[in-house]
Amino acid sequence: MRILRTVIAAAALLVAAVPVFAHHSFTMFDMTQRITLNGTVTAFEWTNPHAYIEIDVPDDKDGVKHWSIELGSPSILQQSGWKFSSLKKGDKTTLIINPLKNGKAGGFLSKATLPDGRVLGNGPGQREQ
Amino acid sequence: MERRPIWALLATVLLPVVPIAVDAQPVPNRPDLTGVWATYRAGRGADPKLAPPAAGPLVLKPEFAKPYEARRAAEAEANKRGEQLATGSVNCVPYGVPTMMSVAIYPVEIIQGPKQVTIISEAFSEVRRVYLDRPQARIEDVAPGYYGRSVGHWDGDTLVVETVGIKTTVPGYRGMPHSDQMRITERFRIVAPDFLHDQITIEDPIVLEKPVTYTLAYKRMPNYEMVEFVCDNNREYVDENGVVRLKLHDR
Repeated sequence: MRILRTVIAAAALLVAAVPVFAHHSFTMFDMTQRITLNGTVTAFEWTNPHAYIEIDVPDDKDGVKHWSIELGSPSILQQSGWKFSSLKKGDKTTLIINPLKNGKAGGFLSKATLPDGRVLGNGPGQREQ
Repeated sequence: MERRPIWALLATVLLPVVPIAVDAQPVPNRPDLTGVWATYRAGRGADPKLAPPAAGPLVLKPEFAKPYEARRAAEAEANKRGEQLATGSVNCVPYGVPTMMSVAIYPVEIIQGPKQVTIISEAFSEVRRVYLDRPQARIEDVAPGYYGRSVGHWDGDTLVVETVGIKTTVPGYRGMPHSDQMRITERFRIVAPDFLHDQITIEDPIVLEKPVTYTLAYKRMPNYEMVEFVCDNNREYVDENGVVRLKLHDR
């Protein structure tokens, strides 16, 4: 019994004391892969628990392929320089994303190039401390 | 005739003249906790004197330890397969007390008044209210919920908060199970200018072999304006196997 308790105590130390993610982990995305999408924004949703960029990307096979790209939350994004108005329908943009592991047309944003040329990430950036 | 002490005589004379002096108690200079606070974690350049000290061991009773470890193992196994098992937060269910006190990098806002301290977590806009200098209710009289009932008092420079009434379905510290007998005691103290510690002790005579204590550290964010967090566009869902998936939109 003592051994079991010791094991539990040791295992607990390996588990993060607090949630690292507010909503979900990145497990469904392949964080080792990066894909570049050049396309036209069909929607920019400044919402919780995540913001989304919906984008049409020209595709040789299908003409246009539609992608849904997940971002952090508005709280996280505004620390990286994003605003609710950073993108709008019809904007041309280049996104670098980590794709879904299941191969479907979705992913997690790594970097976005806005129409004005600014490049914004998807992390917390330099939070005011 | 009994002799009355001199202070009693003086009081008799002065009381009608300066009645306010009777009510006035020495008001200690309370630390000001009001403001927005970012979690300050140990490591990566953090000042060890200001970072939280190491947490104490979490020791569950064997009958609770086994399923807890089984769940941890299943999560690790799913993670290896590239899948995440469902959690409450995936469905936008808030964290409750005490987990809401530190979620990812989201700050907490404290509003300190003479009778109540209100704490707001940016993630999921969670709110807890601490009633000062009121007696705690019996656990069986508190409707179980995410925030329970919190009462507090000042112990010198430390705000001591006690919480009971956390619903057993609300995951506890590190996802630990807990009973309806769980009691959480927090000690909030400014440890240095603009640095706050919240030392949290969880007692649960049914689930824990002994109380567990850990500390959260915060750094003040002087000009930060809290961002709203209403979970109205949750595209993550849980499939029939309990795995988290992302709902994609068509054109």
